[in-house]
Amino acid sequence: MAARSRAARKQDDILKILKEHGARIYNDLNTGSFPNFEIPSRSVRNIVYDEKLRQYVLGGSSATRSSKNTAQLRSFTQLMWLAFFANRLTQEKKSSTLRDVYYSSQAFAVDFDGQSESDNIIVDLEAILSKPREDMHIFPEERSSVFGDLNIEYTVPGYEGKRMNLANHPDGYAIGPSLTSADFIDTGAEMVIAIEKGGLFTRFVEEQVDKKFKAIIVDTGGQAPRSTRTLLRRLHEELSLPVIILTDGDVYGEHIAMVIKSGSANAAHLRELTVPDAKWVGVWASDIERYDLPTIPMTASDIKRCHDLQKDPRYSHGIWRRELKVFLRIKRKAELEAFSKYGLTNITDRYLPHKIELARSL
Amino acid sequence: MSERFNQISPSEFFYRNRDLAGFSNPTRSLYTAVREFVENSLDACDQNGILPDVKLTIKPINPDSADPRLYRLTVSDNGPGIESAHVPLAFGTVLYGSKFGLKQARGMFGLGATMAILYGQITANKPVTVSSSTDGQTSDDFEILLDIQKNKPIIQRHAISETASRGLEVGIVLLGDYSKAGVKIRDYVYQTSLITPYATISFDDPKDNVYRYKRILDEMPKPPTLINPHPHGVDVETIRRMVAESVPQIPPLADTSELFAALRFRNHTAKLDTILAKAKAKHTWKRIGQQNRLMISLMAALQRTPKDMADIRIDEIDMASEQIHYYDLRQGKAHSAEIPDMDPFRSHLRSIYAGEMLQTFLTGRFQRVGARTAERFSEFAGFKPEKRMGTMTNQDLVRLSDSLQRYGDFISPDPSCLAPLGPEPLEKGLQKFFEPDFLSVVQRSASAYSGFPFVVEMGIAYGGNIQSRGIKAYRFANRIPLLYDEGSDVVLKVIHDIDWSRYKVKQDAPLVVASHICSTRIPYKTVGKENVADRPEIERELKLALQYLARRLSGYMSKRGKAEAAKKRANLYAKYMPLISQFCTELAGYEKEPQYTALFKADTMEKK
Repeated sequence: MAARSRAARKQDDILKILKEHGARIYNDLNTGSFPNFEIPSRSVRNIVYDEKLRQYVLGGSSATRSSKNTAQLRSFTQLMWLAFFANRLTQEKKSSTLRDVYYSSQAFAVDFDGQSESDNIIVDLEAILSKPREDMHIFPEERSSVFGDLNIEYTVPGYEGKRMNLANHPDGYAIGPSLTSADFIDTGAEMVIAIEKGGLFTRFVEEQVDKKFKAIIVDTGGQAPRSTRTLLRRLHEELSLPVIILTDGDVYGEHIAMVIKSGSANAAHLRELTVPDAKWVGVWASDIERYDLPTIPMTASDIKRCHDLQKDPRYSHGIWRRELKVFLRIKRKAELEAFSKYGLTNITDRYLPHKIELARSL
Repeated sequence: MSERFNQISPSEFFYRNRDLAGFSNPTRSLYTAVREFVENSLDACDQNGILPDVKLTIKPINPDSADPRLYRLTVSDNGPGIESAHVPLAFGTVLYGSKFGLKQARGMFGLGATMAILYGQITANKPVTVSSSTDGQTSDDFEILLDIQKNKPIIQRHAISETASRGLEVGIVLLGDYSKAGVKIRDYVYQTSLITPYATISFDDPKDNVYRYKRILDEMPKPPTLINPHPHGVDVETIRRMVAESVPQIPPLADTSELFAALRFRNHTAKLDTILAKAKAKHTWKRIGQQNRLMISLMAALQRTPKDMADIRIDEIDMASEQIHYYDLRQGKAHSAEIPDMDPFRSHLRSIYAGEMLQTFLTGRFQRVGARTAERFSEFAGFKPEKRMGTMTNQDLVRLSDSLQRYGDFISPDPSCLAPLGPEPLEKGLQKFFEPDFLSVVQRSASAYSGFPFVVEMGIAYGGNIQSRGIKAYRFANRIPLLYDEGSDVVLKVIHDIDWSRYKVKQDAPLVVASHICSTRIPYKTVGKENVADRPEIERELKLALQYLARRLSGYMSKRGKAEAAKKRANLYAKYMPLISQFCTELAGYEKEPQYTALFKADTMEKK
């Protein structure tokens, strides 16, 4: 029942913060002063790397958005409306998307010039509350999948108390609002394998990687959506499962792993989206040589990306630094599917066990 | 003065040069004719202190015909009228040698109107109709044709009728094109009434639309005074005319009864020799007076009896070459006769035509020239102050004229001969016409360019009933609207040279600038007299006037800008505050909305 209370606590938490802001603004209006919001600055200058948290965070500077300033009055109202709307969504446990939010605004005579404007206001509110929008029932549209021996209990209306084992359907389960807000009951798994590609995810299910290695398999579908990152974090935090990451053997794959591990600069205003202990196990640039994988040449933009990432403090040490150097040296890349050169199950039979072994020592 | 320029009659001369006077085509001619008659009427009223009431009518002779076609153009006024005896001369001849005095009037009296009559007669072959009443009881109604060769009126009809009002009505028939000229004529009437707010002007057009502009003011502006020209302001031709004017006028030759009375002759058919012998007697010669002495001297020189004298018109008495130029009305031919050696008649003519001394000429006929200035100037120009004007050769006159221009010590001209409208009438006119949100007028003090005094007055109006976008300029010169050739005008140049954004005026602002230049001579760029040349002195005054007005406008615009911003703020608060209130109330979990209205009201007050 401890897990059961988690989703409810989260909801109480967000409702409490929203109500506090509402009461503060109400009080300002009632006592004859113009209300405002303090919004932490998300400008590049205010984004710093926190060694302790092992992720990017916002620095101390913030901007005031005042209802007194007529140039800010409109966006203040938009922000006020969004808080109000998020409150309703959370209370009614209704999920919505960024696009929904944009259209919903029109029912309240709050005008947005386009969805990009409303998206920006949503990020503003995230920064003010230090809470991800998923907590306010605003979910991404892109879905990735999860498969493995994990029992969950839904908290969404209509499914409250209903339980499910995530190994029941071989195509996996979409990581949507109901799964994100579900409570974890128990699991037989001992690790989580996050894999970049849907094709390999299916292969892993077919080859029963979940059973052979006692793993929960997560398809990130390229760059992991925030709900997927949240799920990975929860699996690690709540169930103490180690997380390993398999990506394509290129600079983008390396960065997909890094974002799961330590987040992105875009989400510097948020915590609890990272898995600092997650381990990227491949495909490394050095694997290309070691396993003699078929390769394709790196493009100019691949090479530029390598140089850009070298300036990022997170790439200044360990395998992150080492593999970037190798990429720049060999100027070639390889996909996960490249292992098929040695047979379709080569990756699960030979490569994966080797990498899981290696992960323990990382 | 030996040049001959009198071989053709003045009316023929003007007819040959009708393009210069604005009668080049039916469109332009109709417009010019309207201008000439309306301006004559306004001038006549102005000069007699009468609040003008001018009616303009243009009607097609045959309504079914197409343009260009014949129109009857009629202009009537409530002016002083013209004495019956003068009507034929005023409308049936081209007056030659007008006044040389200097005062501001819309145009030279008569010249343009006579051109219009001439144009009408040539294109329609109809006489001019004139109804004139000087007493408001009886009216002299004329129909007059103009004998172009002889420059003489041919009276076709003269009747006297009863009337209820004083004034003049002139009507002509002419070939015109109203479909093309209409816009300009309506603009002209509109703008004339703007710059003449003390006049009522109505226009009944060919389509029976009546445009009526009632007077806004019941007070005439101060009339200008007639003064002598400033030495810098005359050219050699003007000096020549002034010299000619300084000698006695050639007496009217048709009327000899006074002559016989003076000589105490009962017999009006006396022989020439008898008359001359009688006149020569010293006591008679002294007694009969200047005019008669001149008349008898001319009779002696031309060997003509008083009766014969009626058949000629003397054009010039040229003492330098001792010749008389005259025109034989019977033969229709110009003649020249040498003056025979017959004393005392020739010496008498000589002494009359020797004229004034230079010193007297300068002090008596120019403004700002006293005895000492005349003396110094004579020395500067290399003339003796006692030099007789009549003895000056053409070269002398050119040297005199040049010296008058170059001499630097004349006092600047006297502006009392100018008739600006005045700031208040201009302001009232603009107010009535545009009911603007902002209005300011300025009258600059008098200045001068090459000896001609001028005054610039200007008004600026913003918003209100002004429909046009961008700066619309109304240009006036001596109370005449200038409608053609706008592009090259100095006023437009000055307006365009100003950086309006500095004065917070946007490109599409509803702005009117009315500029009025008053001068005894407007420096028109072209003979069409529609655009003013950019003399630096005038440009400077226009610029200063406009900058002054623009500064005032800028003050208004920033006030208006602040008010607009406050209004915008209030609108924004009115739009968004209820929403904020509604959302935060639900978010805070309250029922009643907060009391926020006092908040932003207080804020807008404080910001003001």
